[in-house]
Amino acid sequence: MPGISDPKDKYYIDNPGRVKAIQAGMHKRGIDVYLGSRIRTMSFVMDTFCPWRSYIIIPPEGQPTFFTFVVDALRVGDETWLDGDHVRAYGPMGGMDQVSAITDFIKDELGIKKGRIGYEDGISTYTAEGNLSHWEYTHFKDALPGFEWVNAHDIIDALSLIKDKGTIERFRTASLIVDEGHKAARAALENGGYRGMTETVIAGIAALAMRKAGSVSEWNFAGLNEISSGYRTGLGACTPPTTKEIKAGDPLMLDFHAMFKLALGDHAHNYLIGPATKRQRWHADNFVAIIQTVIDHYRAGTTPGTLAAIMMDFAESRGCGDFIQPACEHGIGLFGDEWRIGAIVNPDLPYWTDQDHVYQENEMVVCAMQYAAPEENIGFRYENDIVIIKDGCEVLSKYPLAIEEIS
Amino acid sequence: MPDQHVYLSPSWRDAALKRLQAELTPEKMNHVTTSMSNIYKNCPDGVEHFLFIECKEGKVTRVETGTGEPPQAVFRIIGDYETFSRISRAELGAQKALMTGKLKLKGNLAKALKLAAVSDRLNKVLAQIPTQY
Repeated sequence: MPGISDPKDKYYIDNPGRVKAIQAGMHKRGIDVYLGSRIRTMSFVMDTFCPWRSYIIIPPEGQPTFFTFVVDALRVGDETWLDGDHVRAYGPMGGMDQVSAITDFIKDELGIKKGRIGYEDGISTYTAEGNLSHWEYTHFKDALPGFEWVNAHDIIDALSLIKDKGTIERFRTASLIVDEGHKAARAALENGGYRGMTETVIAGIAALAMRKAGSVSEWNFAGLNEISSGYRTGLGACTPPTTKEIKAGDPLMLDFHAMFKLALGDHAHNYLIGPATKRQRWHADNFVAIIQTVIDHYRAGTTPGTLAAIMMDFAESRGCGDFIQPACEHGIGLFGDEWRIGAIVNPDLPYWTDQDHVYQENEMVVCAMQYAAPEENIGFRYENDIVIIKDGCEVLSKYPLAIEEIS
Repeated sequence: MPDQHVYLSPSWRDAALKRLQAELTPEKMNHVTTSMSNIYKNCPDGVEHFLFIECKEGKVTRVETGTGEPPQAVFRIIGDYETFSRISRAELGAQKALMTGKLKLKGNLAKALKLAAVSDRLNKVLAQIPTQY
C-alpha cells in the first residue's frame, strides 16, 4: 500500500524534507555518507515498516538508498516514498551479501571512495535498537579502507525529537485505536465475563478490536499486549500475557498497543475484579492520584528529573512512596524509537534519559508509571502517549483515568 | 566438429544473437528492458573477457563480446571463466553459482530477482550453441 504523498493529508510527513535536514546535519559534521542501521532510523526516513535487518545509505545530496533482506524488498518498495531504484535488497548471493552490496554501492554507484562515514552505535535496553554490530562494523570497515568512521546517530535523534503535525496526528489516531481495545476488553470482562478468561484471551480480544479499528500491529516486543492479573500485577513493567485465569479479587492490568502508520499507541489501564478489599482500593486511589499529579505537571520547560521528584514527593505525602517506581516516562517516536528521552548522550550515564533534559513543545513521551506492592500481590501500570505543549500536555488516549471495580 | 564456435569469439557472439532472437519472443522475455555484462576472470588466455546482452521490450537487441571494459549495463555478473563455461555447458545452475558465491552480482537485487526466470531461459538458449571452450 503506497505511502502518503499529499501534503494536505493530515498524516502527511515531509520525508524529502527530513532527508535534507539529515544531509544538513551531515554537512555540519563533515560526514560524506551516512550508514543507518537502527529501526528508528528506517521508520524516520523510509516512513514504512522495516522489520528485517536493514541499512540506509544517505549521500550528501539526493535520495537515500535502502537495503533490506531480499524477501521484503518489494513490499517495502511498494510502501515507501522512495522510488524503486533506491530500494535495494541484500541476500545470500555472491556480491549481494550485506557488506558487498552496501560497500560496492558506496564506492561504485555513489562514487565515494574515501571520507567520513556516519554510523549508528550505542547501547540500549531496547533489544531491537539496531546499532551496528561488531561484526558488521569490522567488515564494513575492512571493505571501506579509506574512511573515517564517526558515530553520528545523534543527527537523527535530534531531528526526530520534536514531532511534526503529521506524526502527532498519527499518534492521536493510534491512541484512539488503543481505546477501542480497552472498550472491547472491558465489555468482555464485565458482568462476570472475566470468569474462566485468561490473560491471553483478553489480549486477543483487544487485539481484534484494535485491528478492526485500523491497527496493523500490537507492536510491543515485550509480549505485544501486556496483561497481568493477581500477584503478577506486582512483578514490574514487563508482563507478556499468560494462560493464568482471572479470578475474583484480582487486580488486573491491561497494557494495549496499536500501530497506525508507524505511530505507536500505548495505553495501560487497570481494574480491580470485585470484591476489592479496602487496602486494594487504597492502593488504587493512590495510583490514580499520582498519575493525575504527574500529568498536571507536564509542560514545556520542565525536566524528567523534576517530574520524578514531584511524583515521589506526592507519593510520599500519601504514604505510598515505597510502592512507586522512581520514573514516570519513556521516549517514543515512530516504530523502533521507544527508549530514552532526548537526543543528547549524557556522558555521566550514557544512553540513559538525561534527567535534566528540558522538554520542548511538540516533544512526545509515553507517560509511564509503575506501582508495585509484590508482598501484597498487587500492582498497577499506567502508560499513555502525551504531547508536550506550552502550558501542559495533551493526553492522547481518551480512555477515562480510573481504576474501577468490576464484577 | 565443423560447426563449433570458440566460446566468446565473434562467431559465437553472432550465433548467440541469432539464436536468442529466434527462440526468445518478447512474451517469453516478459517484455523486459534490461542489460547485463558478464565479466570473465581467469580466462585461459590470461585476459579478462566480457559478454554483454541487451533486451528492449523483450527483444534481444545486442550481444557483444570482447576484452577490457564492457558496455554500461543494468547488472554486472562477475566470475571465473570456468564458472561461466560450466553454466553454459549446463553443468552448473546460474542460481547455484550465485548462491554459493561463485558468481558475484552487482546491481539492484530486488530487480534482478524478477529476471531470474528470464535469465534461465537465456542461458538455456546459449547452452545450445555448439561451443568449443
